[in-house]
Amino acid sequence: MRKVVIDPIARIEGHLRAEVEVDKNGVVQEAYVSGQLFRGIEIILKGRDPRDAGLLAGRICGVCTNSHFRGAVSCVEDAYALKIPKNAEIVRDLMAMALFIQDHVVHFYHLHSLDFVDVTSALNANPKLTSKEAHKYSKNPFRNSNTHYEEVLAKLQNFVKAGKLGPFSNGYWGHVDYKLTPEQNLIVISHYLEALKFQTKISKAVAIFGGKTPHPQSIVVGGVTSVADMLNPQRLNDYLFIIKEAKEFIDRAYLPDMKLITSAYKAEIKAGAGRANGNFLSVGGYEFEGEQRLFCNGVIYAHDFENIEEFDETKVTEEIDRAWYSGDAKENEVCYTDLNADGSLKTAKNDDKYSWVKAPRYDGKPMETGPLARVLVSYAKDNTLIKSFVDEFLQETELELIDLSTTVGRNCARAIETSYICEYIFKLVSRLIQNIKYYDTDTWVRFDFNTLEKDAKGRAFLEVPRGVLSHFVNIKNQKIDNFSVIAPTTWNATPKNFDGVRGAYEEALVGIKIEDTSKPLEVLRVLHSFDPCLACAVHIIDTKGKELSRYRIKTL
Amino acid sequence: MRVVIVGGGIAAVYLANNLKKHDSSLEVTIVSDEEYPPYDRIHLCRLVDSSEDTSRISLVLDPSVKLELGQKIEKIDKQSKRIFSNNSVFSYDKLILATGSLPVSLFNIEGIKNAAVFRSAKDCEIIKKGVKNREVVVVGSGPIGLELLETLNEMPYVSDITLLIRGTHLYDKNLSIDSIKTIEQCYLQSGKIKISYEDEIVDTVVQEGVIKLLKTKKLEIKNPFLVFGTGIKPNIENFRDTLECNKGVLTNLYMQTEDENIYAVGECAEVKELGFIAGHVKECTLQADCAISHLLQTDIKAFKQEVSIDMLKVGEFDLVEVNSAQFTDDYEKILISSKENKRIDEYFMHEDKLVRFIGINSNVDVGYIEGLINSGEAVDINYLYENRLIGERGRLICSCEHMYHQDLVDIVTQTGISSFGELSDFSQAGRVCGRCKIMVADVIKDAQQFIDPKMPRKSVQDIQNEKEIAAVRKRIDKFNTLHPRNNLTTENLDSAMESLDIAKHEINSWISMVTADMQLHPNFEEVVQESVKSLNKVPIIWLELSDCSGNSEAFIKSTNPAIEDLIFDYISLDYHELLMSASGDQSETILEDIIQHQKGEYVLIVEGAVPLAMEGKYLRIGPKGETGIELLKKCAQDAALVIAVGSCALDGGVVAAYPNPTGAVGVAQALGRKDIINIPGCPTNPTNIVGTLLSYIMFEELPALDKFNRPLWAYEGRVHDNCERRGHYELGEFVKEWGDSGAKKGFCLFEMGCKGPYANVNCPTMKFNSGTSWPVQAGHGCMGCTEIGFFDKFANERKYVEEKNNA
Repeated sequence: MRKVVIDPIARIEGHLRAEVEVDKNGVVQEAYVSGQLFRGIEIILKGRDPRDAGLLAGRICGVCTNSHFRGAVSCVEDAYALKIPKNAEIVRDLMAMALFIQDHVVHFYHLHSLDFVDVTSALNANPKLTSKEAHKYSKNPFRNSNTHYEEVLAKLQNFVKAGKLGPFSNGYWGHVDYKLTPEQNLIVISHYLEALKFQTKISKAVAIFGGKTPHPQSIVVGGVTSVADMLNPQRLNDYLFIIKEAKEFIDRAYLPDMKLITSAYKAEIKAGAGRANGNFLSVGGYEFEGEQRLFCNGVIYAHDFENIEEFDETKVTEEIDRAWYSGDAKENEVCYTDLNADGSLKTAKNDDKYSWVKAPRYDGKPMETGPLARVLVSYAKDNTLIKSFVDEFLQETELELIDLSTTVGRNCARAIETSYICEYIFKLVSRLIQNIKYYDTDTWVRFDFNTLEKDAKGRAFLEVPRGVLSHFVNIKNQKIDNFSVIAPTTWNATPKNFDGVRGAYEEALVGIKIEDTSKPLEVLRVLHSFDPCLACAVHIIDTKGKELSRYRIKTL
Repeated sequence: MRVVIVGGGIAAVYLANNLKKHDSSLEVTIVSDEEYPPYDRIHLCRLVDSSEDTSRISLVLDPSVKLELGQKIEKIDKQSKRIFSNNSVFSYDKLILATGSLPVSLFNIEGIKNAAVFRSAKDCEIIKKGVKNREVVVVGSGPIGLELLETLNEMPYVSDITLLIRGTHLYDKNLSIDSIKTIEQCYLQSGKIKISYEDEIVDTVVQEGVIKLLKTKKLEIKNPFLVFGTGIKPNIENFRDTLECNKGVLTNLYMQTEDENIYAVGECAEVKELGFIAGHVKECTLQADCAISHLLQTDIKAFKQEVSIDMLKVGEFDLVEVNSAQFTDDYEKILISSKENKRIDEYFMHEDKLVRFIGINSNVDVGYIEGLINSGEAVDINYLYENRLIGERGRLICSCEHMYHQDLVDIVTQTGISSFGELSDFSQAGRVCGRCKIMVADVIKDAQQFIDPKMPRKSVQDIQNEKEIAAVRKRIDKFNTLHPRNNLTTENLDSAMESLDIAKHEINSWISMVTADMQLHPNFEEVVQESVKSLNKVPIIWLELSDCSGNSEAFIKSTNPAIEDLIFDYISLDYHELLMSASGDQSETILEDIIQHQKGEYVLIVEGAVPLAMEGKYLRIGPKGETGIELLKKCAQDAALVIAVGSCALDGGVVAAYPNPTGAVGVAQALGRKDIINIPGCPTNPTNIVGTLLSYIMFEELPALDKFNRPLWAYEGRVHDNCERRGHYELGEFVKEWGDSGAKKGFCLFEMGCKGPYANVNCPTMKFNSGTSWPVQAGHGCMGCTEIGFFDKFANERKYVEEKNNA
């Protein structure tokens, strides 16, 4: 058994390390993933005015930035039972949905695609054939002229000639696990470059209502502040046109590219490469007409799509058996046991601690959360808003639902989700326009902070790009007494407990074959498919208030 | 802090002005025993011949400096930090003595009506009145005596002047006989002057306070007026009891006396280690700079003697002297002279090296001579000969500003100025020590004929810009030759731009924007464009420490056109965890490679705070589990430049907010360095990062920084002052609660806790996400995220003042 250490894992947010133990054939037998940075944002939140939680908690992550901002403000609103105006909800949703689109596109192209795409192979592509190839995955491929591909090629060649690959340097180029043809590689690289421009444009959509992104600044307890933008027809118009342009790219580049990669990696998909434990969690959300929601809530165990349970908040617990925290209700909650002298994780004993990420469990089980969970839960619950999108994709790629629970499948789910979000965002804007048309311009619910209850507890469960995000707050005497966050990556990157049961990352790694342990491309591919966000993931557990809000947070 | 300066000359004024310039909050007082505000002694002759009065030769003093005249300091009390004059007391935190020197007379002349020294405005009054209808006797042949002699020579009611010289030389004992003769002839021409060599006063007959008869070894002069233009000695008698003194008040190399709160500068000070007492203006100002740097504890520098240049113009001859600290009597001399042109160049050599130069009516390029002495290289005598004729730039006119004849003519013909007064916009020639003022004025007058009447007048700004652009261009060329590693050409960058579909006009508009934002003249656009292309050759390491990746995110989302993306993501961003394809060992290899092989060439950008608690182990990076601080130190050590991006890198930001659980600090503090550039913001506007890098490339130096090391061009303006809602503030139109009618109309957000009045950054003009919006436009207001400790101070929606009162 050999140990392979990968640190830093690049192309993710934050400081993630992976250690895998492989047998003589290079097949992973055991895996440990570890968050390597602790900041203690919850400790910093203690003792502050609850109204300030949003601006501070927003800084949990610069990638999922408005998610935490909104999560923190929402849990405070929940504590005070403030019902915010419809318009404010919609404006928050519009910012969130633009973020979904932006995050998913940046994730696939800039953070993940290089695990599938060999930049150097693209140099051998024939532009004419490339153009033809693209038509296999889309009726109307994005920027598909010969001359365009020639230009991209010339540019790549210039970089290679200049010996200057920038962020492309030292990739695992030429690795046997790169399966695309030169032409296919060139298609995705072309879109990689397009996506750079794409993501600057889509970020403007967030900024229209948020003031800026990352770290928007327009959400306040009780509503939103960007009322002047909301009432300005030009701003709404700008927002719509940005989304419209985005939809072009999603439908003609992103989704077709996923189909392309699916066809190239069909064998891996069918073999279930990168499949985790099959436990999925979605809390649902994003209200449309009436009670209908874009995402359904639900829990799936062991890929059983027939028997879906309703999500029950009280079944969420947090554990720290093997995370660097102490179970004692002492002042110092941190319990760092260090690395081994050679810099590797301490994992020899089944109670060795090895990560700053704590271990959330649902009904005692580790769960997978994210676009895949949302798609599976919503699809299995017959959500009419999304079903046709999923069916179409599965049909065209000749996949079954279970195939999505793989490394490549996670990306498919993300692309499908992006596509239908683009579609439904227009409906959301029409709802906003309807409200304004009938003189509902409220964006804030009035309250007097000093007459609110002095002591209160609140929570917020949100679906955000990477999965389920929950914020909990406990307010005493108008100040935050306790704050706790469980982010999507906390679920997916969870360490083991004493029982040794693996979380989603670790389980997905076990069983994959690493062709060349000095170039562990396969490991990166699995981890990237979850879209890790480590700054989000690391949160201190609440050890003193074991009952956080109305929800039992179990600690040992 | 209260700084008291004792003295009334150029050193005192230079000290006061420069102290104020460095820190305007200082309370600076000058205490002088003169009746007049500080003036420039170099022009004393003008007082004698009445061509100027004291107000005309007075020195420019910062108006906030307090001036106490007629106060002769008699005592220093080191313990209570006070100084006493006969009627006043001044207390200080820091005291600087700049009392200069006293003239030496050969006998006590107090109470004698027809004798004077030549040191102050008062002396000039006495001389002016006393010389009428008397035979004037000037004692001393040094520069002061010679200049006075020339002044008296020109005065109509002075008919007989005798110069008494103890030795056999004029000006300096090391001057050759030929030179002395040449000087002498100039004086003797008018017939008014007699020179008596090897002569000195042996007796005087004094009656009723008047010297009736002056007896020298060789002469007897009745009813003379006697002026001592001899030596000077440090003016320190009243400090001898309190401070350690030798000839002058003894100081260390930072001009600090034995008492840590007292400094001495200029002719009254003696640098103990060097046994040196200043005699030239240049040395005094150098010492003043050292004292200021030490007193304020910024960029501390020790005093070191530099090469000095002196000029003397008397009648028909002019004399220039270039002197080094290495000069002693142990020398060999090379003389190149031309009788016909009355020109003599004397080179003083020591071991083949030039240590001093004196030229009479010389044509040599004094700047070249200065360089020759400074370089300490062996001198090629042939070259000295070739160099004897006037160079391309003509004769050196102003030695302080290194301004040659042709330079001045060029200024005149380019700008069309017609007087000395107008020159000050373009050059300080004639104004630094002031000796050459008249020569400068003459050149300007003579050059008027060359002005082309049709020439468009250039403004100061135009000329300045042209100069800067030329200099910057040169640097870019140099940069390109020094960094050939990437072989990137204009063509492949252009094609890269094209393939990203960035239209030419978009690039141009972006470049215009950056140019304008960096507060550069539009003429710079072309240069900015060239630098953009150079930027892709600088290797950049982007480290993420205790961060949220917000600045990286902001960076890749930057502006439209996405030129930054192009530059950074594709061309030069060699190590960036968020973007690079390599992970683990492969990424470590990249990092090691840059650090090893591009020492002093790469730029390190750091995002995030540095956790120091628990031995820095709250953050581990890389296969060996290095801590964040270890990695930072490793990368920073050989970086050409370290830029701390975002608020966390400034001072720990949110991570260091109370109670700072991981002991986080900013990059500068973690490294213990003062040269880290901070570009704070949460997140930082990427344009400010790019602009700072560009300015580094163009000017090969850090941009001007404020006291938090933030580039002034981006962080100088106050948010409140440039805010689009400022008009509503002035009209008293405020948002009173979120979403109210004021909010819908875009009223001022001050009442809702906007921290714009406390924040300095260019958000109102730059905005975010391609100029889409910024927090004030989004109706929330500023939270001062560019300021120190903003999370504990400003990150809320309440008025800052209220918070303070509550606390």
